[in-house]
Amino acid sequence: MNKVSGNNFGSAEQELVKQLQGSGDELALNMLKKHGLPTRRLEAYHYTDLKLLLSKVPQLAEKNQASSKKIDAAIDIPGALQIVLENGSAPELPALPNNIAVSKNSGSSLKERDDIIVALNRSLVTKSLHFKFSGTTDQVLHLDWRNSAINDSAAHVLASVSLELEPGATATIIETFSGSNHEHLANFGSAIIIGNGASLTHIVVDLTSKKSTRLHTIEYEIGANTKLHNLLINSGSKLSRTQVFSNFLGEGAVGEYSGLNLVGDGQHCDITLDTIHAVPNTISNQKFKVVAKNSAKAIFQGRISVKPIAQKTDAKMMVQGLMLSEGAQILNKPELEIFADDVQCGHGSTCGELDEDTLFYLMSRGIAREDASSMLIRAFVQELLDPISDEGVNKALSDIVEKWLENTQDSVV
Amino acid sequence: MSNAMLEIIDLKVEIDGKKILKGVNLVVPQGEVHAIMGRNGSGKSTLSYAIAGRAGYEITGGDVLLDGKSIIDMEPDERAAAGLFLAFQYPIEIPGVSTMTFLKSAMNAQRKARDEKELTTPEFMKAVRDAADDLSVDKTMLKRALNVGFSGGEKKRAEVLQMALLSPKMCVLDETDSGLDIDALKVVSEGVNKMRSPKRSLLVITHYQRLLDYIVPDQVHVFSDGQIVESGGKELALMLESKGYAAFDNTAA
Repeated sequence: MNKVSGNNFGSAEQELVKQLQGSGDELALNMLKKHGLPTRRLEAYHYTDLKLLLSKVPQLAEKNQASSKKIDAAIDIPGALQIVLENGSAPELPALPNNIAVSKNSGSSLKERDDIIVALNRSLVTKSLHFKFSGTTDQVLHLDWRNSAINDSAAHVLASVSLELEPGATATIIETFSGSNHEHLANFGSAIIIGNGASLTHIVVDLTSKKSTRLHTIEYEIGANTKLHNLLINSGSKLSRTQVFSNFLGEGAVGEYSGLNLVGDGQHCDITLDTIHAVPNTISNQKFKVVAKNSAKAIFQGRISVKPIAQKTDAKMMVQGLMLSEGAQILNKPELEIFADDVQCGHGSTCGELDEDTLFYLMSRGIAREDASSMLIRAFVQELLDPISDEGVNKALSDIVEKWLENTQDSVV
Repeated sequence: MSNAMLEIIDLKVEIDGKKILKGVNLVVPQGEVHAIMGRNGSGKSTLSYAIAGRAGYEITGGDVLLDGKSIIDMEPDERAAAGLFLAFQYPIEIPGVSTMTFLKSAMNAQRKARDEKELTTPEFMKAVRDAADDLSVDKTMLKRALNVGFSGGEKKRAEVLQMALLSPKMCVLDETDSGLDIDALKVVSEGVNKMRSPKRSLLVITHYQRLLDYIVPDQVHVFSDGQIVESGGKELALMLESKGYAAFDNTAA
C-alpha cells in the first residue's frame, strides 16, 4: 500500500520524475514510478538507502550553459593526454594519436540493467564519447570530468563514455572527477570493452566537493587472455556509490580489482563490485582498503559469481579497514555464488585501529604521534599504489594520500 | 662523582591497577654504564617502558629525571628528543615502512624538536653509510621494510644502528641479549661498546650475567619484586650467577 504510487515520493523522486518525463524514455520513469528510489530493503542498496540519502535533485545540466568559473582538475598528470569534460561534454577534443579513434554516439554507453542508477543514466544521457584503442598507447589518457554550476546553482550531471581496447591493445586510462563546491548530483557511466589479448589499467579518482553526490557505474567486458588492472580511489563526495559490473567472457583473463576509500567527516562512500566468471580459467584478485575517520561510513559489497561452466576459476577477495576514530563505520559484505565444483574462491575481511605498540615504537624514536600515524597509514595503502607503474600517475595518486593525511592530522576526533 | 644523567626517585608504577614498581631509586651518572639484573617478572621491562613513556604505565609516585629534568609528563617522542633511547627487547616489525624512511624521519624529527637544522638527503645517506660500516650492518638490511624478516641478531643490530644515528645521551637496553646466539651477542655488544663515551650513559637490563662479560658495567643493581634490592660493582653479577636470584629475595624480605 505504500509503494505503488508516487504519493509518498520525496522531493528528489518528484524532481527525477519531472526530468524523466521530458526524456522520451519510459524505462527509468516506470522503474521509478513503480519502486521509487531503492531503500535498504533492496539487498544491493542495503547500506546505501538512496531514498533516505538523496534528499535533493538539482536542475539538469544538459542544455544549460555551464558557469564560466574555472574548476581545477582533480589531479594533474604530467605527460598525460588530458580531455576535459565539463558537465559531461567536451567542447573540443585535443589531437589524438593515430591509435586512438574517437566518435560520438547517441545515448548512454551503459547496457540495460535492473538498476535505477543505470536506468537514469540511460534515460537522460543523450550522447557519449566512444574511444577505441589499437596497438600500444604509451601516453596515459586522462578523462578529466568536472562538475560545474549552472547560474551559480548545483547541477544534475549525467554522462557516459565508452572505452574499447581492440584485440592486443595496451592502454592506461585514468578518469578523475572534480567539481565546484555545490550540491551537485552526478551520474556517470563508463562502459569498457577489453578485446582478446588486450591489457588495460583503469584508474578512477573521485575528488569532487564534499557537498556533492556521485553515482558511477563501470562495466567491464573482458575478453580472452586479457589483463585488467582496476583501481578506484574515493576521497571526495558527501555521498558516493561506485558500482562495478565485471564480466569475464573469454578464458585466460586476469582481473586485478582494487580500491581505496579515504573518508571522513560524514562522508558516505559505497563500492559495490559484481564479478561474473562466465567462462573457465579466469582469475580475479580483489583488494580493497578503507581508511575512515570521524563519522564517515565506508561500504564495500563484493559479489563473485562463478557460473557452472566456469571451472578452474581462481577468485580472491580481500577487504581491509583502518578506523582512525570511534565514530567511523566500515561495512563489508562479501558474497560468493559458486556453481562450478573445481574452483578456488575465497574472501577475507579485517578491520582495526592503528597498533599502539607500533606507534609507541615509532614515537620512542622521536617521531610525533601524528607523524607516526601517517607513516602507518601510508604503509597500509602503499600496497595498492605500488603496482601503478606510470611514474606520473603514481606520484599524482600518492599526492592524494598525502593531502588526505595532512587534513587528517588536524581533524581526527 | 659527575652529574646524574638518569635519576629515578622512588618510582612507583601500576599497570591496570596492579603495582609493578614499588619505589625504585637509581642514579646513573654521566659516562657510566649500569646494569640491572633480575629474574623474569621482577619488573625490569616495566622500568624501561616507564622511563620511555609507554601508554598504560601509570606513574603513581616518584619521578624520573633525565639530565636534571623531569620527563614523566613528556610524550615518548619528546623524551627521545630530550636524549633518551630505549633499545627494545622485541623490536617491532613494520611492513610497508622502509628502514631508510623511518631512520630519516626519526633523525629529522629529533633535530626539529631541538631546533636543529634537518639533514639533507646526502647528509643523511652519508651518516647511515658510515654508521652501518662501523657496526658491520649489511646494507641490504637497510633496503627492507623496518625489521620485517630480520633475524633476531639483525633486529638487535638495527636497534644499535638506530642508537648510533640518534646519538642519545641516555641509552636503556632492554634484554638486548635475548634471542641472540654467542656470535651475534659479540657483534651487538661491540656495537654497544662503541657507544660508550664520557658524555653518554647506558642502563643495561638483562637476566643473564653473560651479556655483562661483553658490556662491562660500572655498577650492577639487583632487581626483585619491583625494587632494587642490592647494588655493587661488576663482581655482583658473578655472585648472582653462582648464588641465583633467590639469595637476594631474602634480603628484600
